[in-house]
Amino acid sequence: MTGDSIVAEHVNKRFRIVRIPKAISLKEAVITRQLFKRPPRDELCVDALKDVSFSVKRGEMLGVVGRNGSGKTTLMRVLGGIYKPDSGTVSIVGGYAPLLSLGLGFHPDMSGRENIKMNGLILGLSPREIEHRLDEIVDFAELREYLDVPLRMYSSGMYMRLAFSVAITIDPEVLLLDEVLAVGDALFVAKCVEKMREFRHSGKTIVFVSHDGLSVKAWCDRALWMEAGALRMAGTSEDVVTAYDSHAKLAVAERELLRAIE
Amino acid sequence: MASSIVGSVYRFRWLLFELVYRDIALRYRGSVLGFLWTILNPLLAMLVYTLVFSVFLRVAIPHYPLFLLSGLLPWIWFASSIAMGATSIVDGRIYVSRSVFAPVLLVMVPICSNLVNFILSVPLFFALAAFFGAPLGLPLLFLPVIVAIQFILLLAIVLMLATYNVFYRDLQQLMVTILSLIFYLAPIFYPLESVPSNFRPFVFLNPMAALVVAYQDIFYYDRFPSLRLMGYAFLVSIVLLLIGMRVFDRYKDAFADYA
Repeated sequence: MTGDSIVAEHVNKRFRIVRIPKAISLKEAVITRQLFKRPPRDELCVDALKDVSFSVKRGEMLGVVGRNGSGKTTLMRVLGGIYKPDSGTVSIVGGYAPLLSLGLGFHPDMSGRENIKMNGLILGLSPREIEHRLDEIVDFAELREYLDVPLRMYSSGMYMRLAFSVAITIDPEVLLLDEVLAVGDALFVAKCVEKMREFRHSGKTIVFVSHDGLSVKAWCDRALWMEAGALRMAGTSEDVVTAYDSHAKLAVAERELLRAIE
Repeated sequence: MASSIVGSVYRFRWLLFELVYRDIALRYRGSVLGFLWTILNPLLAMLVYTLVFSVFLRVAIPHYPLFLLSGLLPWIWFASSIAMGATSIVDGRIYVSRSVFAPVLLVMVPICSNLVNFILSVPLFFALAAFFGAPLGLPLLFLPVIVAIQFILLLAIVLMLATYNVFYRDLQQLMVTILSLIFYLAPIFYPLESVPSNFRPFVFLNPMAALVVAYQDIFYYDRFPSLRLMGYAFLVSIVLLLIGMRVFDRYKDAFADYA
């Protein structure tokens, strides 16, 4: 049960973002003689991940912190196998890692039961295996009376309970959590933390994205700090979160100072 | 390449069943006649076409409704699979961009669900044949073979269309037009014999036309289909499938970025 469960080497991911051209009327097009001209391609390249390398050991919990747009979610999607990196490699024990993230992977018009089934099937389970785990999932999520209600009627907390229960019950080698615990109530989060501890004791790995430095410090062994798609710092969660927090505080203080000067 | 597609279909066969079931169930959810529409739609089309071609235009074919249906039902499978298949990856973006998901399944769903519809409408042939007192016999044994070739052909076409449609959405518009045009070129309303012989190779440029003729052989003429025509359709389908899988394999990693 030793060794690395996730190894990422020099991962790069670039997105080409196309801006939607401003619509012009036919009259305008004729007047300005643009009718048969191609609209200029308004493309923007964003390097969502720049040369990111790190590894995670079995049984470890890794936190990822960073500002909005720093590449945390892209990193999680690359680890989850949804995005293919442009260059670099990612290898994960067990071959796949389910990614939990609010609003992802579930179908709003299907009931909780149908979504559980669909999710299990997508992960390659057979109907029998899913039937087997259904009770466990529903009991943990405490959603028995909502099992046949379409998901769009769920609150974000219920949604997250369902997603977390499905993912942890499927028992993968690696679990990716993107901001999901933020919407759970304290009691359920405590239950999740307990479950995550068990999960890690059996040699499994969790990667956890959060804005909340406190929970990263409390739950994670090590942490990454992402900035503008690159890895700014990697180390113990204590060190990384302290550095990140003081940097954030500094930035806020700097802005206040500038405003005061003006 | 081929093994990765076959492998993921096998690994996710339960998911494929579920998606196909859902596709069929959702189509008729909330309609009173429900599943009957699968049979009513072609029957209504058959009535109108029979009126136009058999009564107004006097195409001289006995038991015209049976003749028409033997080409029309497979064509409906063909055309609906292509129309729905071309947009399958784009329509399935909720799966492609949000979870690890084998996109080849999305491509297969419309082909399979329309195949189920086709199979469920096969009893219509027996009903009509009994009605007209037309014989249906041993040539029907060829049905699975023709269906298999059409499946390969559809998979090939839909793999290519669904892939390119992710990047160029014009394709889905174009396909609707093309499908309705080649519908008239395939010998569905009229027998192959009424096509001047120097035009026939042109008709068979569409491999589906060869399959339509084979379906007419077994359902209408009660004779064994031409092995040459079926061999031709099979070869074309296999070649197209190899190209289709190549195209699909080459671009499938970019689906999550664009779909």
